[in-house]
Amino acid sequence: MSHQYPIPIRALALGLALSAASLPASADPVSDAKLDQLQQKLDRSLQMIEALSNRVKELETHPGASTAAVAPAAAPAAAVAAAGTPAPSLEAQRLDAVEQKVDQIETANATRQTDDSGLPMHGFADVGLGNRNPYYANLEGANIGSLDFYLNPKLGGKVVSLAELIFEVGPSGEVGTDLERFQVGYQFNDEATVWVGRFHTPYGYINTALHHGVWLADALRRPKFANFEDHGGVMPGHTVGVWLTGAKREFDGKFLYDFYAGNGQQIQEGIIDMQSGGNEHGAAMAGSRLSYQFTGGAVDGLTMGVNGFTDKVNSQQTANLTRLNMMGVYAVYDTDIWEHIIEAYSFHDTNINGPGGTNKSTAWFAQFAYRAPWGVPYVRFERADLDQRDLYFAEQQFGASYYRGGAGVRFDLNLKSAIKFEVAHTRTIDVRTQDLSFGLPVEYNEVLAQYAYRF
Amino acid sequence: MRVQKIALLALVIAASWSGTAAAGDIFVICHAPVSLTAEEVKDVYYGDKGFAGAVKLVPADNTAQQAAFLEKVMKLDAKKYSGIWIKKAFRDGSAPPPVKATDAEALAYVKQTAGGCSYVAAAPGGDGIVVVAKF
Repeated sequence: MSHQYPIPIRALALGLALSAASLPASADPVSDAKLDQLQQKLDRSLQMIEALSNRVKELETHPGASTAAVAPAAAPAAAVAAAGTPAPSLEAQRLDAVEQKVDQIETANATRQTDDSGLPMHGFADVGLGNRNPYYANLEGANIGSLDFYLNPKLGGKVVSLAELIFEVGPSGEVGTDLERFQVGYQFNDEATVWVGRFHTPYGYINTALHHGVWLADALRRPKFANFEDHGGVMPGHTVGVWLTGAKREFDGKFLYDFYAGNGQQIQEGIIDMQSGGNEHGAAMAGSRLSYQFTGGAVDGLTMGVNGFTDKVNSQQTANLTRLNMMGVYAVYDTDIWEHIIEAYSFHDTNINGPGGTNKSTAWFAQFAYRAPWGVPYVRFERADLDQRDLYFAEQQFGASYYRGGAGVRFDLNLKSAIKFEVAHTRTIDVRTQDLSFGLPVEYNEVLAQYAYRF
Repeated sequence: MRVQKIALLALVIAASWSGTAAAGDIFVICHAPVSLTAEEVKDVYYGDKGFAGAVKLVPADNTAQQAAFLEKVMKLDAKKYSGIWIKKAFRDGSAPPPVKATDAEALAYVKQTAGGCSYVAAAPGGDGIVVVAKF
């Protein structure tokens, strides 16, 4: 018969027993031996931890020294063996093998350069819905914008290159292919890079800042007159030639400069062509842009500049030949909160063939955007007063004078895609027979939506 | 089994030690003998400075310390940093810095790459690497 004590009593007895077993005051020689044994084990454990900790530190500071890893790795094993415990030879070997693999991966990853990782390719694309095509007002309804492949091959050293190949819809709704940019450059230093090939003509701000991928821009589209040649623009947005560019840090900012020269353009079927293969008359265009960018102080984010070019433009269909002279100013205030852009241009063109004389034209736009946490609302006003006695503008499909006012908003859906909306009113001042026959409306409203992304 | 437990304990201790360092200083390192000022480090990672003298700089990001680096040095978040490089790459063909996963990878990269720069949580020792700035 056994006595069943209440649970508190049993717990008390157990506690007393455990306390007695752990009391250091005990003078029992058996307990002393056990304590010594435990002390030795603890010392060995601390040695092991120290050895492993040193090993980890060594791997952190000398990741490439995979062979050197063998010696310290053997230390804990030796310590364990000396303690009389069986050496974990299999585990240690496996651990060594894993360490060596990690070393190899880290070294390979650390030394891998983008130069030899193939051809980096990125791109942009956009689709739209609206009562009109955003670039060709004669077309209505849904539209595809462009599929823009951006190739950035690494040639190594100081040589840089880029190419931009686009599939896009043209004025008649057909899908065309265009090598919008193809340039190879050499970087002498931070102050000078020379590019050769086809590049975006350095004038104003947006022509070299926003490029073809519409995802890059806060607004749904560029100002009409400053758009690319086949999207309603009236300026030579691309040049095939040589471009010297650079920056020099001075005071609270940087001086930026661009000097360029290239083939004189030609008007083909009402659109400016940059003569990628060379032109027939051998005439060149040349220009420059000088700017100052504030990178500190109260006006951090402000860039202001002047630009100009001279160009000799002929016509594929007629004998028209025009000396095009442009002068312009621009300012952009680009911060985390604001994006304000103003560009203005003045043209003093001379008809070399046909009716002579110098004709003056102007074009400008102002855009104000607020980068709110929820989206980027913006407003824009644009005006082009283009003298139709100037053969350069008269022959262009989009060469009529106009007013446009609009407002829009951009919402970033994630890091790679955005949806934009814009409403605008456009009034054409010059009512030209060619525009009417092409179906371009004189005055119209637009409600536009666009989904743009990068990949 | 005991060895594994002890190793795990050591790794936990090491991890907690390195975690403490990550919350501390950021050391910007470059392949010797590159020299940069603290202000120039920002320019390098903005893509505005590509040379130190005649040496072409090839900076690398370090995922393990990137959040602290962007906050302390660049004063911007990862989204804006990424956006800056996307626009820059598209404008002038500049390649964003390659990304290394750990301090060890960043150190190995800088040590083996002429003009290489990166940032780590602890001041490294060894030849071929110089600490150009501490934040």
